[in-house]
Amino acid sequence: MAADPPASRFSDCARLVAVLALVVVGMLIPLESWPALGLLICAVLAGHALAGVPVRYLARRFAFFLPFIGLLAVSVPLSFGFRGGWDIACSILLRSVLSFLAALWLVWILPFPRMLKALRRLGVPAVCIAIMTLMQRYLVVLWEELDTLRKARAARTIGPESLLDRWRGACQTIGILLIRSVRRGERIHAAMAARGWDGTPKSFEWTPSEAQRDED
Amino acid sequence: MHIWDGPISPAVCAAAGAVSLGCVAYSLRRVEQGLGTRTVPLTAMVAALVFAGQMVNFPTGVGAVSGHLMGGVLAAALVGPWAGCIAMTLVLLVQWAMFADGGMLSLGVNVLHMAVLGSLGGYALYSFVRNRFADSLRGSVIASVVASWVVVTAAAALFCLEFALSTPGKDLGTLFALMMSVHSVIGVGEALMTGGIIGFVARRAPELLYVPERASSTATGVGRVAVVGLLCAMVMAGFLSPFASEFPDGLEYVGRKMGFDELDSAPALMLDDYAIPGLSKRPGWERISVAVAGIGGTLSVVAIALGMGRLLTRKHAYANEPSSE
Repeated sequence: MAADPPASRFSDCARLVAVLALVVVGMLIPLESWPALGLLICAVLAGHALAGVPVRYLARRFAFFLPFIGLLAVSVPLSFGFRGGWDIACSILLRSVLSFLAALWLVWILPFPRMLKALRRLGVPAVCIAIMTLMQRYLVVLWEELDTLRKARAARTIGPESLLDRWRGACQTIGILLIRSVRRGERIHAAMAARGWDGTPKSFEWTPSEAQRDED
Repeated sequence: MHIWDGPISPAVCAAAGAVSLGCVAYSLRRVEQGLGTRTVPLTAMVAALVFAGQMVNFPTGVGAVSGHLMGGVLAAALVGPWAGCIAMTLVLLVQWAMFADGGMLSLGVNVLHMAVLGSLGGYALYSFVRNRFADSLRGSVIASVVASWVVVTAAAALFCLEFALSTPGKDLGTLFALMMSVHSVIGVGEALMTGGIIGFVARRAPELLYVPERASSTATGVGRVAVVGLLCAMVMAGFLSPFASEFPDGLEYVGRKMGFDELDSAPALMLDDYAIPGLSKRPGWERISVAVAGIGGTLSVVAIALGMGRLLTRKHAYANEPSSE
């Protein structure tokens, strides 16, 4: 994940604030001046091109994003019996696309550890940063655990399942994951306490070498 | 159920963000008092759990459409309202920071819906209902079912209000009826999921469910009842808004007579016609749909809650596990 040369001159905080400003500006532009919104979207797309974001990645994310926002947007004219409300629908779509593209660019440019560092600089409490740092590590473990549970369930399940069975199975999967992970959390706390953890996150400021290592 | 930066105006986002920020900051203080050194590892684990739990698909039976858990009530039932609120907030923040899910500006709105309403409000109702039952495990399951449905529909009602404030001068009543109807069904799904998971945990590892210390539970008694009342009022406002009066109320009528145009231009800010602005000339189907959704949702949630509670006590007795209280 290489940052693009022109944007890498700015600090991570500046990028975060710039994206926020862009989104605010996008939301304040009235729909009548839609060309301005279109220009902003094009500018963000240019940023994507500079940062080398793969088109396939963008397409995949949009495949998830568009149905949700499209449904919300279409439900506005639907509630007017398709006789009005298209302006609201268009503004929802355009602004959402702009904001989503800008956030995708930021997420691509800033890997999670650097994002956390920028958020810390912008005033997010150290406890929250510490929780999110641990969360990222737990997530990898939990996803693996979830995958194991799914495989185990698939191996034990013969034939088609009814809807009720599938719901019960999904509840059980989350339930088992919950019991295991909360107990794991307790064990981790015990281990941390044994190593002198007193509840105050001191070591969640990264040195440059650590940030570099986290990125790899 | 993420809201992206489109429907809600920056001003409303800022207001929602300010409310969220206050609630989250207060929760953070309460968490550190309650959990001490366990704050960071345990809250992080519950947050990661909610995140991972949202990846589990629940088929709806309609084509390939599937739903997933939201988890506000679940998180609060595990680690209490304050840690639950922090966990949900950070889930939303991480989902944005890692995957650009949910808007940047509307993060405050999402936090308000899913963490503040979902965990803080959800827990108030959860503990209110649970305390009505002598068997605390059965009470937990019933309470989680009820709280999940109420929280989802209340969030939908809140979204309608925010959307109305963001788009003044439009008759959005039909949209809100649609919104409430859909979310009543989604809420039943969330209630089934949360109830199923809490029921499973109550049978297998009941010690993991959050039980507050006596002192703190009485101290917040009045506040809890107030929050429960507010939640119920929001749900009722959401479902009853299409039935509100079609005639302009007195103040508005006088305003029009006297030619105060600004009253017409800012009806959204006044919340006229009792609930949600812009109510007039409504087709009939939306009233029917919202009535069916409201009454059907309530009845099915009560049925699910009692059914799951009965299921639990039967298996509970069969397993011959000692009751915790």
